[in-house]
Order: sequence, then C-alpha cells, then structure tokens
Amino acid sequence: MTSARKRETGILRLYRTCLGLYPAEFREEYGRELYMVFVDRWREVQSPLGMARVWLESLHGILHEAPKEHLHMILQDFRYALRILRKDATITVAALAILALGIGATTLVFSLANGLLLRPLPYADPARLVAVEEYSPKDPNESRQISFPNAVDFAARATLIQDLGVFSGGSTVLRSDGEAETVIACVASDRVFRALGVAPILGRTFTREDTAPGGPKTVILSEGLWARRYGRDPQILGKGLPMGSATRTVIGVMPAGFHFPDRAELWVPIQNDPAKSARTDYFLSAIARLKPGVTEYRATSELGALLDQIHRENPAANNNWLVRATPLRIWEAEGYRKQVIALLVAVGLLLAIACANVSNLLLVKASARSREMAVRSAMGASRRRLLRQLTLESVVLGLVGGALGSGLAYLGVPALLSLIPIELPRWMSFAPDWRVLLFAIGVSFVTSLAFGLAPAVGSSGVDLTTALKEGGRTGSGGQRQRFLRNAMVVGEVALSMILLAGAGLAVRSFYAMRSQTLGYSPEHVLSLQLAYPPARYPDGPKGRMMVQRLTEEVSALPGVNSAAFTTGVPLHDGWSRIYTVEGRPRDLKDMPFVNHVVIAPGYFRTLGIRMIEGRDFTESDFDQPHILVVTQAFARENWPNESAVGKRLRFGPPVRNEPWHTIVGVVADNRHEQLKQGGRPVVYLPYNADITPASMLISATGDPAKMASSIRTRIAAFDHDIAITHVFTLPQLIERASWQDRFLAVLLMAFAALALTLAAVGLYASLSYTVSLETREIGIRMALGASASSVQSLLLRQGVLLAVAGLGIGIVGALGLTRLLRSQLFEISPMDPITYVVTPLILMAVAAVAAFAPARRATRVDPVIALRWE
Amino acid sequence: MRPFTLSRDTFHILVALAGCDRHGYSILQEIDERTRGEVRLSPSTLYSAIKRLLAEGLIEELDERPDPEHDDERRRYYRLTRDGKRAAIEEARKLEKLLADARATGLAPKRA
Repeated sequence: MTSARKRETGILRLYRTCLGLYPAEFREEYGRELYMVFVDRWREVQSPLGMARVWLESLHGILHEAPKEHLHMILQDFRYALRILRKDATITVAALAILALGIGATTLVFSLANGLLLRPLPYADPARLVAVEEYSPKDPNESRQISFPNAVDFAARATLIQDLGVFSGGSTVLRSDGEAETVIACVASDRVFRALGVAPILGRTFTREDTAPGGPKTVILSEGLWARRYGRDPQILGKGLPMGSATRTVIGVMPAGFHFPDRAELWVPIQNDPAKSARTDYFLSAIARLKPGVTEYRATSELGALLDQIHRENPAANNNWLVRATPLRIWEAEGYRKQVIALLVAVGLLLAIACANVSNLLLVKASARSREMAVRSAMGASRRRLLRQLTLESVVLGLVGGALGSGLAYLGVPALLSLIPIELPRWMSFAPDWRVLLFAIGVSFVTSLAFGLAPAVGSSGVDLTTALKEGGRTGSGGQRQRFLRNAMVVGEVALSMILLAGAGLAVRSFYAMRSQTLGYSPEHVLSLQLAYPPARYPDGPKGRMMVQRLTEEVSALPGVNSAAFTTGVPLHDGWSRIYTVEGRPRDLKDMPFVNHVVIAPGYFRTLGIRMIEGRDFTESDFDQPHILVVTQAFARENWPNESAVGKRLRFGPPVRNEPWHTIVGVVADNRHEQLKQGGRPVVYLPYNADITPASMLISATGDPAKMASSIRTRIAAFDHDIAITHVFTLPQLIERASWQDRFLAVLLMAFAALALTLAAVGLYASLSYTVSLETREIGIRMALGASASSVQSLLLRQGVLLAVAGLGIGIVGALGLTRLLRSQLFEISPMDPITYVVTPLILMAVAAVAAFAPARRATRVDPVIALRWE
Repeated sequence: MRPFTLSRDTFHILVALAGCDRHGYSILQEIDERTRGEVRLSPSTLYSAIKRLLAEGLIEELDERPDPEHDDERRRYYRLTRDGKRAAIEEARKLEKLLADARATGLAPKRA
C-alpha cells in the first residue's frame, strides 16, 4: 500500500469516527451517505491544500451540525413526552401529586438539615471556629463549658488556636429612655469578637482594659437594639445607659445580624478575676479560631497536653477532666443533630415509597403501551431511542413533580417553624438557598431515574410479536411485569412499616414523657421572673423585705393559692456544684455534681411537692442558711438504709473548705431540671443574705395565665421599676421543654400517614389492575361454577399475602432502623412490644381495606360479558 | 403547514434539485459549479438540511433510480415535491422583491 493510500485510509477512518458525534438515529439514517459524500469530495481534490480544506470543512460541518441534531432529537422526544403525559392525564396527575408530596417532604426536611447542620454560621471564615469545652470522662456529653482560669491558661499557651474568648449568656434590664425592658445579653471577653472576626459599625469592641477586674463599665449594643430603643442615635457612643446594677458607657454598636451567642442584643465585658475563680467551676463557654491549616483534632490534642500541664501545676484541681475543640457548627447544632438525621432517614423512606408508587403507576401504563412501543420499534426506533424516550418522560414527571414539591417545601417551612414554641437562635436560618435548590433538583433527577428505570427497561425491551399479537387491550407484559408490580407493593408496605414503627415509637415516647409523674402539679402554676433595681434591693435585709412583701401581696390576690420565690423555676438548667458527704471524703475526680436551687418558704406548697420527711424551710432559716432539703432519690442514693435528715454535706472542691450544710427535710422526687431521665439531682437551700431569688411561682385556683395581669399590676404598685419577664404557665414551660419530641413525633406521624396512604393506594391500584387483566380468567372460573365469595377471597388473599410479605420485611427493617431513635426515646425501648403489635395491625387493616374494593369488583364480573370481552 | 423559512443553504439545495433529481454528492457538485465555488456546503450541513426538508415534505426520496446508466446502487436520490417547488418559488419571489428594494435605494446596481 502506498503512503498516500495509507493516509487516505487513515483520514477516512478518522472521518467515520467523527461521525460518532451524531445521534445514533441520524447516523443510522445518513451516516453512510455522509461518508460517501466525504469520500467523493476527498478524491476529487489533489493538492494538499485542497485536501486540508475539504477536511476542515467537513470537520467543521460535523462539529456544527451534530449537537444541533442531538438537541433537535431531545426536543422532539420532549414534545412527544409532553403529549403522552397530557394524554394520560389521570396517571400524570396522580404521579405528579405523589412526587410533589415525596420530593416536597424530602426538601422540607433537607431545609431543616441545611439550616441546622450545613449552612455556614454567619461569621468570618466560620469553618475555622471551634468551641472549647472541658468535660468529665464519666459523662462526656454533659459539660459544654470551661473554667475561667483554665481558659485564660489555654489562651496564653496554645499555639494552634488563636483568640480563645469566653462568654456567658444571660439577660439584663435596660431602664433609660422608656420602659424598663429585659434584653438578652452576653458577658464576653475581648477575644470573642476577634475570634468571630466581626467589626463594629460604630465605635470599638472590648479591649484588655475593659475586661480587667474592676475595669470600666462598658457596653456594646446590637444594631437592632440601637435602632429600636435609641433611634439609631449617632451620638450614642460615650453615653451612659443604666442597666442591671450599673450605668454602662456605650463603646460600640455591632452590625445588623450579629447576635452571638444565639439571640444576644448587648454585650458587657467579663470582669471576673480568674485568680479568684476555681479551676473546677465550669460556668463559661469558650470559642476560638483554629490557625490556618490546623484541624480540630490537632487543636484538641494540644489543649489536652496543656490541661495535663495545668493539672500537674495545680494538683488540687486535678479532677481528671478532659478538654476538646469542637467545630462551632457542630457544637451549636448538638441538640438537634440526631433528630434531624432520624427525620432525614424517615423522609428518605417516604420518598422511596413515593418512587415505588409512581413506578407502579408507570408499570401499569407501560403494559398498556407495549403495543405502542412495539409499533414504534417496528417502524425503526432503536431500543435506545425508546429507552431514552421513556426516561425523558420520567425526567419530565420528576422535574415537574420536583418543582411542585419545592413549592410545597417553601410553603411548609413557616408551617413547620410554627410548631416550635421557643425563640430559635438567630444563626438558624431556614430560608431556601442554593444548597436547597441544588438538593431539590438532584433529588428530582435521582427520583426520576429511580421510578422510571423499571418501567422503561420493562417496556422498551418488549417482544415485538407477542406485543402486537396480544394487542393493546391486554398487553399485560406478562409474568415479569406482574412480578415487578408485586415487588413494588411489597416494598412499599415494608417501608411503610418502618415509618409506622418509627412514628409509633416517637408518639409513645412523647406521651410517656408527657404523662409521667412530674412530682409537682403544674396545672395551675404561673412562673415569672423579676428584674428589680439591684441598688434598691441589695442582697440582705432589703432583698428579704422585697421577697416577703411581694409574696404577701401576690398571695393576697383573689384567685391565688400561694406564691413563692426561687432562683430556678422547673425545667430550667440549674447551677450545679460538686459536693462531699460528711465522713466520706472523695477524690476530686470522683466527686459528683448536684443542682442548687435557692428557694423561699412556700415553694414546695406552691408546686405541690410532697414533704416526705423532716421539715420545710421557714422564714427564720434566712439567718441560718447552712441547711438543706433534698429529694428522696438523693437521700436514698447517699444514705440507702437510714434517714437523711440530720446528715451533712459540703459543696465545692475540698481545698476550699466551705461550710457544712445540714439536711432538715426530704421531699418527693420531681423533674426539676428536665423532663427526660438523667440530669443531675437537686438540693434546695433557703434564701439568705447572700442570694435574693428573682423568679416567682404562683399557684392559682383557676387558669394561671389569666392571673398574669393582676399580678403585674400588684407588683408595679409595689415598685414600678421592677420589670417582669419570662411569664409562662408551667404547662407552657413543659411544652417548651418538650417541643423537640413533639416536633419529631408530629413529623414522623405525618410521614407515616403519608406512607400508609401511598402504600394503600399502591396495593389498591395493583390489585385493581390485576382484576382488570384477569377479567377473562375470573369469568371462566365463575362460568365453571366458582362462587362470588371464593373469587373475592382469592383476590383478598393475594392482597393480604403481599401485605404480609411487606410486613415481614418491614418489621426486620424497623428493628434495625429504629435504633437511630434510641437516644430520643423516653422510657420506651426501640423494640417496644406495643408499637410492634399495634402498627402491623394498623397496616394490615389498611391493606385489607385497600384490597377489598378490587376484590369486590371482581365478584361483579359477568361471565358472559367477560368471555365476550376477549 | 406552518411556514418554513428557508435558509440560504436550504434554498441552494432546492435550486439544485429544481432541474433534476439528484443524490447528495451531486447536489453539492451542482451548487459548487453554479456558484463557481463561492458556496460550499459540508456533507454535514447537506444532510441536516435534507433531513429537515424531508420532514417538511419539501423534498422526497426516490424509490427507483432515475438514471440506471450512471447509477450507483447505494446512493439515495432526492426530488423536489410540489410543496418544495412552491416554497422555492416563494423564496425566489421574496429575494427578487428584496433585490428590487435594494436597487430602488441604490444599494444594488440598476439592471442593464
């Protein structure tokens, strides 16, 4: 072969390869022609220049035309898909409704997950922010805090983190320029602002001088507070604002949207002296910024080494505690993560059910279309083209369903948020963003492929002769299609079972929690917090006078049974300290924690907490405060076989040698700190010259909420500078404390109900279709003497069999998956027998109902008509 | 039938087919010769246009070969349909009108 000839063969082969850029259909139709024309052209030129020109022209032609052909073909298929979808309007609408619900619910839950777990926090370079917390190796999930002197040492010595700052949330009362108002405040060190990388819009943030013990009384305002209360006064800097117990000078205003932590509206500098604070008192939170390239693991191991060093230098403070740096994102979302994951799994199952359901619809439709497919195939459409056509139909369905679903999710977010009775931290934002959008599109695509695949493969591979012979009417697609349909139904029932079990557990747990014995009677109790001017009522006789007078005045109101002051209303995190029982010294690292509540006489009566042994506090205990009332559980734990009354214990680390407290009474156990199990035991101390409690509990004869205004009036009459905040009835507090469990239960219930409906519809549709296919067979049976009831029971049996198969698989799956809920469940095992008896029964009942209608229809088949039908 | 706008290339193909039925390469040659090489269609452009003209019914594929003597068994021949002829005439008229307008405004030389 000459080299010219070789070159020609090469070029021709190359051209043929390039033709591969065309869609297969076009290539099959015109590929040979194109090639021949190219060959003609090529052979007609002689000069290399001419050859180059022909080659470039031809290549340019392909590159220019091939994409257009692809687009053209897709548009054509798309138009065809729309026509088909319009033609089968019923199926299309049903499929769209199911998809919209499935994708909508999924996108909705994803929006929650996005807001809670994914969306970056609104601070500079948020991925480098960490929370630093110390914790006991005994319960690593308990502490989220740090001790002040340790924080100072970490900040000074750590090389892998920078700007370790400490803060603590709280509230303060503003008294100038208008009504007294309680605002959410934060005590923070100077480095908090540096760590967050946020600059004020006015003035400055704190400096070392501000945060020195005895330093100047300064304050930073949030933009919102500055606008709301001070009308954006540009001269605000340098002004003195009376708040809390002091007048503070405004030194800065933070930008809009900055509310660290959670919902803070103003910041005051921390001015504690770290040297005077115990290394084992954990009352601050800490954040820091990782240096570039440092992981939280490396930071944690450095901090751990530093803590060891601190413990070596201060052996008396060595309690074996550990320290860790946790990404701030994870630290903030800690209380929500497990529930969000459980919801994501649940909604994923729901989506799978929706897919199976739509798939089933399309399978039915595909059987009816097998003739169409055969005809198109006979007319030269390749299997690939048919497959693409069917896939495109699914994708159109999926995308339209996804768009509808995204709309539902968009509307659903506010509805979901309205289920939440508490004020969420400001960093949580559930507005749709690109992640949600991308997710919705992705889910729609994946969903389309998931539900479209089986029907598409099934019907594009249809056997020509059978399909044409069978005719459109009974083109059942045979055994394989039937198997597929049944498999879908079984799958739907199984997934529904898992969801039902999860929902059942969540609901049972919620009711168990809400119907438990609380140890107090919340029904008629109102709680409120007072913010009194500290200068007017300093701790001591003046504070005592206020507590006594207000208790008397409020108790005297008509409709009030009793009233009492306390430092902590039920279901609020308390202040806990370590303690030692007299005669049983323990090593610092083994010392347990107990929660302190300081109360005025009347507290137990107001809450209806039973006195078991000993006595309640009296007014005279004010002057001899080293006494205690403990709960039964605490007494039993420490003195299992004897009375606790008369025993003594002491708070704080041994080195501090605090005074001994004598137990004078024992009260019934009660859920003071949290509704769920766990939590620390509680001991009660009498109010005294060191502490003036500021929360008030009022027991009313009727609806406590209705008492609020008369109580307000009475307190204002006593002193109108006392601000009243946090007015809640105890049932409201319980509601607020259990909203996450209710939220989980409500959502899981909704998903389970949807799942059940979809599964029932799936079962119903599948059996109905079977009946319509087997009309002839049923007719023959009946003509041969089968009774209507035997035909009916045959079909019922078929439905029940499918349901039972699904149930079996579902129960196994549920036993595996509901373990995810374990940590969320209250006194209910993930294998709760009642749930596993009741939910399958519900499912079976629904399945029987769904199977009944088609079975009944079958009995009405008239043999004569049925036989003529064929 | 919805109006079909003829591109310049498509019009060239219709014109090439106006005289006699042709196969693809012959269409290209005809255009080439008639325009003295000024208009050169690539095979790709040609067959994309042919596909569309067939779909629109402006041309049709022949079942039998018109010129058995010089025929190549494998080639497909195309013929202008009545609709195709009408469309080509319509297009020619439009071009004529456009040319007349151009002349009237002095953009093109007056006819000799």
